[in-house]
Amino acid sequence: MSSTPNRFAINGHPRIPNGVNGGPHRASSMTRVASGLGAESEAKEDDHEDDPIHAALQQRWQDTEASIAALFGGDGQPRRASSKPADAAPTESGAPSDAKTTSAPPKKAARQIDDDYGDDDDEDEEEEDVEKQSPLKSKGKAALPNGLSPNHLRAPAPAVKPPAAVRTTSSAVSDPAKSSEDVRKQLEEDKKAAAEAAKLSFQSMFYTYENDRDAMLEQQKLDELDREVENELSTGQNGTANATSATAGAAAGQNTTQGSLGSADLGASSLTLKHLIARIDMKRDMVKASDNQLRTLISEVRKGRSKWASEDRVGQEELYEAAEKVLMELKAMTEYAQPFLQRVSKREAPDYFQIIKTPMDIGTMIKKLKQFNYKSKKDFVDDLNLIWANCLKYNQDPAHPLRKKALYMRKETDKLTPLIPDIVVRDRAEVEAEERRLHSVDADDSDDDDAPLMASRGRKAPKKGATSSARKAPPVAVEDTSTPVPEDRKPAMHPSASNLRNDFLRADSEAHDANSTGLNTPPPGLATPLGVNGVHGSGAPGSQADVMEVDGFGHSATSAIVEDPDEDDTEFKTWKQVTKKDRAQAAAERNRLFHGNRYPFLNEEEPALLRNKAGMRRWIRQQKMLTEKPNVEGDTQEGAESTEQPAGESTLAEGIEKDEDSTLPDYYNPLSAIPDLDEKWKWTTDSEGYVVSQNEQGMRMFPKDRYKAPQGSLTNKMETNMHQMQETRKICAKIGIVKQMQIQAQTYQNQFQKYEPQPFLEQDVGPVVVSEEGPLMAPWVNRTAFQRSVGKIFYHAGFEDFQPSALDVVTDVASEFLTKLGQGLMLYHEQPRKEAETPRFTFEEQVLHTLDENGMDIESLETYVKDDVDRLGNKLGVMHERMKSHLADLLRPALGDHAGADGVGAFNDGSEQFVGGDFAEDLDEDFFGFKELGLADELGLESLSVPLHLLQNRMHSAYQAQNQGPVPTSGLIFTPPEPYEAISTENIGNQIGLVQDFFRNKLRANRDEPLVEDEDLPQKQRFPKPRLPPTGKISSPRKRPLKEQQQAAKKKRKLEESEEKTKTLKPLRLQMPDAQENGVDPEKDAEANAPMSPESIGN
Amino acid sequence: MAENKNAKYRTEIQQMMFVSGETSDVSPETTSMIESIVQQQVMEMLKRATELAARRGVRTISTDDLIFLIRHDKAKVSRLRTFLSWKDVRKSAKDSDDKGGGGGDAGGVDDFDLAANDPTLGTGPSVGTRNSKNKKAKVGLPWDVSSFYAEQVPEREDEEDEEEEEMNAATLQRLKQADERTKGMNAEEYLHFSECRQASFTFRKGKRFREWAGFGVVTDSKPNDDIVDILGFLTYEIVTLLTEEALKVKAAEDALKRESGGDEEKRGRKRRREPGLFDPPEEARTPVGPKHIQEAFRRLQKPDIKSRYMHHVPKGNWQRPLKLI
Repeated sequence: MSSTPNRFAINGHPRIPNGVNGGPHRASSMTRVASGLGAESEAKEDDHEDDPIHAALQQRWQDTEASIAALFGGDGQPRRASSKPADAAPTESGAPSDAKTTSAPPKKAARQIDDDYGDDDDEDEEEEDVEKQSPLKSKGKAALPNGLSPNHLRAPAPAVKPPAAVRTTSSAVSDPAKSSEDVRKQLEEDKKAAAEAAKLSFQSMFYTYENDRDAMLEQQKLDELDREVENELSTGQNGTANATSATAGAAAGQNTTQGSLGSADLGASSLTLKHLIARIDMKRDMVKASDNQLRTLISEVRKGRSKWASEDRVGQEELYEAAEKVLMELKAMTEYAQPFLQRVSKREAPDYFQIIKTPMDIGTMIKKLKQFNYKSKKDFVDDLNLIWANCLKYNQDPAHPLRKKALYMRKETDKLTPLIPDIVVRDRAEVEAEERRLHSVDADDSDDDDAPLMASRGRKAPKKGATSSARKAPPVAVEDTSTPVPEDRKPAMHPSASNLRNDFLRADSEAHDANSTGLNTPPPGLATPLGVNGVHGSGAPGSQADVMEVDGFGHSATSAIVEDPDEDDTEFKTWKQVTKKDRAQAAAERNRLFHGNRYPFLNEEEPALLRNKAGMRRWIRQQKMLTEKPNVEGDTQEGAESTEQPAGESTLAEGIEKDEDSTLPDYYNPLSAIPDLDEKWKWTTDSEGYVVSQNEQGMRMFPKDRYKAPQGSLTNKMETNMHQMQETRKICAKIGIVKQMQIQAQTYQNQFQKYEPQPFLEQDVGPVVVSEEGPLMAPWVNRTAFQRSVGKIFYHAGFEDFQPSALDVVTDVASEFLTKLGQGLMLYHEQPRKEAETPRFTFEEQVLHTLDENGMDIESLETYVKDDVDRLGNKLGVMHERMKSHLADLLRPALGDHAGADGVGAFNDGSEQFVGGDFAEDLDEDFFGFKELGLADELGLESLSVPLHLLQNRMHSAYQAQNQGPVPTSGLIFTPPEPYEAISTENIGNQIGLVQDFFRNKLRANRDEPLVEDEDLPQKQRFPKPRLPPTGKISSPRKRPLKEQQQAAKKKRKLEESEEKTKTLKPLRLQMPDAQENGVDPEKDAEANAPMSPESIGN
Repeated sequence: MAENKNAKYRTEIQQMMFVSGETSDVSPETTSMIESIVQQQVMEMLKRATELAARRGVRTISTDDLIFLIRHDKAKVSRLRTFLSWKDVRKSAKDSDDKGGGGGDAGGVDDFDLAANDPTLGTGPSVGTRNSKNKKAKVGLPWDVSSFYAEQVPEREDEEDEEEEEMNAATLQRLKQADERTKGMNAEEYLHFSECRQASFTFRKGKRFREWAGFGVVTDSKPNDDIVDILGFLTYEIVTLLTEEALKVKAAEDALKRESGGDEEKRGRKRRREPGLFDPPEEARTPVGPKHIQEAFRRLQKPDIKSRYMHHVPKGNWQRPLKLI
């Protein structure tokens, strides 16, 4: 009490604004000063006691006031103006939030409310903590929490002080102001931190889905309610709505003026403007414009208003804005609010209306709100409390479940109501009248003084009030009816305190009034009643708190315990509240999938669940956030802080933009966490709509070429070597033939096996279906493949062929060896590790150990590669060259050493030198005239000998056989004509008529077997070639075999005998038997006969 | 085997050891031990060669069989081939010169030995008996590339076998050592040295050798001269190898003694003597003893790691076969 007089003394002028200013200051200072003081200070204020601390406080207060006075002392007008801005805070703050809410659909409003839950919880906790700390005096406790809360409280009741502080910019004043701001900031930070922590914990903690169904049902109820209200409103309120909307324009105009009351307050309401205003305030002295000008300026900049805005109804916008939020928030606590959402029907409780005369429910309240039925905060709060009171009244049984809910809701209500600005909606005309009156009348001192305290008290109370009201439900309703009632009661408990509180309340309400009305100084007459109302609005809980303080303080602890099951796991609670809406949605979506079907079956008509990019991005972000939690937390906190607005109201409206993504942890959206489907799991349909069954993906073809030697340089070398060997062997075979021919006088067609090596082709296994990775477990196939490899190595080692038993033995040994190698590798690989990360043996060590274990080492392997593969290749190459040159030597025998000095040796050993014709080369004699012909030049022959194989028929045939392979591949332009069909009894008719008889006879001689061409005859049966006798004179065409000659002689005789009988037949008969007996082919015959014919004819 | 009456090659062994580096007089025990070792080796070789021949279905062993036994020691094979080819050269030279002296092949071997191992020349025979027309014919081995093919092709002059050169490295190293040792010798010493180099188990003692090696017992064939010459060459190699190894063993032992045992011994009796005027020369201190030979033989018998494979085969009382050195 002492402080106010002082202040007035200093100020000497309008008290109300100062009071408004001062109130919060003191409150804040008190809060800062501390615990346990509250009660005393209250008492002091009544008794003018001088406690040292209080004295100090007062001193400080005075200093502050003095400095403020000094600042504003000059003229009253500006000060008044300055006080206005302070008042305007709520309006201002209300306006932007209005804007937001109007733009945002109602659902988002609910979201904002969600945000605030954290705040409230935190607050509660703090309060509880404080309570527990000082269990001593009920009063003290009551005061204490109050002391704490004002900072927060100021948000709604608001901002009276901070603006002042900012505006004055004097250090003295800003000290407490700042401190209070700090505290508030602190609180907000705490809140944010808690919210963030909760959110983080959502991510890291798994909450079961079991509450989702409840959430969904509740949400459905809520939506229903909304719809209902909407319907009712739209039907019943068309007229009024129009009316209000008509008035809206006018109201808007007024609001602008009101809103422009304080630039600083404006700042509080809007983020963008806040900085601007802070800036302006900092350089206030440099700004030439007056406060009024600034205000108008800013108000012009400001955006539009909410649906509640009304020109004619002063304060409606702010009040309704806040009220709606509170209502929405309460409604959103579906777990508890659910029973109160709708009117109690007679069906439910037949006797309800006998007991409850004035039923109330949230739905009705919304309706009322929308119909602008509330005139003041008090009306609203009364209705709210009425709901709970009704419930408590009807359900007398203390164990009744609804009671608990009602109590909870009441507690919440008490927490929330302070957020509603204490505004009485008045008509504009009324306000203007007030304004006029204002000049003459001043407000009550006491009111001014006590306002802040009371505000804090009211603020504080809710917590206990709620719990206490649990027991004393009926009184609450009674209390609500009028301010005096609580005041009356309070005195009974604690007169001074209640008085004080009352004063405070009034002051507070006045302040609110001022805010709401936008008047510099509300006329006292009006102010007081309003104040009372307003106080009641906020103070009603306070009074309850007092009631509770009386008898219920013991309960505060117990009440806490009672509520434990709920509050116990605050995290879980937070979770439930914050995510309720989203969970409900998720559950609804899930539910939809089963809609219209019996439970376990999915609804086929529902669209498929698809991942979307946003969801996946979000999931990733959340995962990332979890991993780098600390940093992110800090960041988001800062961000939140920057967007934070000083007024509590505006925090309600906040978070719209932040909240675009759902609060649900990612396990609620499992789709986003699913990685991409493997190609083979995909559900694909072919062009005809059949599902492409990809099950066989499990069963797949054994990869190709697994049974072939892998391509490597070693393999390549070995294969090159083997190829080289084959080539060399070819030459070798030729050499052998040549040598053999040199030895043998006669060779036979089939004497020499043509060496026709096949290229080494490794055959892969046929198509095999396997079900898993890894080798094919087919022992026989594998063994065969291994044998092939062994055989290859054999060949590489020089064995052209080998016995199967050898192959088997070596295969067994090698497989045994390799098995041991594998086992050794496994053994070393699986050695227990000494350290967790590093295996006992590196791979290199494993290999070396294994090799050593099996009697091998790297050197021997290297030696093998170097000596037995590389060097072998070289050797083979050399050998090949040697073979080639040797063959060339053989084919072109020259006068070598063995020819002897005089060339006598050239005739030795069946040398063909003279046949070849190059014997004369030494003499430079062109024996065959090759030089002359130009053959030497043309063919590039270095020696003019006739190649041996051209000269000799036998050579030729041998080589033909030899070279049959290469010939077709050398790319003949014309395919050689098909060999003549062997003449047989079947196709003899195809021959010309002349020779048919001849052939028929031949065939008969051949026992009807097809005739064999002369060239194809075995060597021995061939007709010997004619040779020139040493005389060089062809005496007789050829020497006939004896038999033939005898036959011929016989024939001759016969001929001669028959000649006489039948002359005509002679020529024919002459030839026929000859052919018959001869058994030679016609060509041969013709050839042979050619020289013969003269003789026979002659004969 | 160590009995004196059985010791038939004491001188030869001594000479061989001298050539191999053991300068001082060797005790009869040592030589007889070496002799018995060599004998064992030779018998083993004969036995195995006979088995190999029998596998081919032949009763007489061929040079290939013997070479096959030592195929893993490529350097030795190479030396043996050189030896054989020079022997061939010598033989043909002698044939062409019609100078078949007493001893025939054996003499050739002897000459060759001298020539091939002559430190001053290194390679190539120094003896003038070589006919310039005679070419050094290579001794083909069954596992050579040339034997891959059915046809044998005459050698070409220009082809240098780099493998051969590589294999000769060990031989050259040995020659170089001998060269070093003979550098400081005067004429007499060198004469002695070269005489020692001619020591052979078989040279002009064919009959004795056949008895000693157990021809007719181990193998019932009558060996041809080539076999005996090869064996002579191989025995020389064995003694050389044994001696070298034994010298190494002894050097290690001496070193150890000097380090610890010697010190201890000396400390026990008296302080280490200052090298005096009349101290015996360092190198010619003690000859190689039987224990050194034994140790050397043990070391040489140490199985190489390749034989580790198949050890898992249940073998019962399986004795590791004698390793041919």
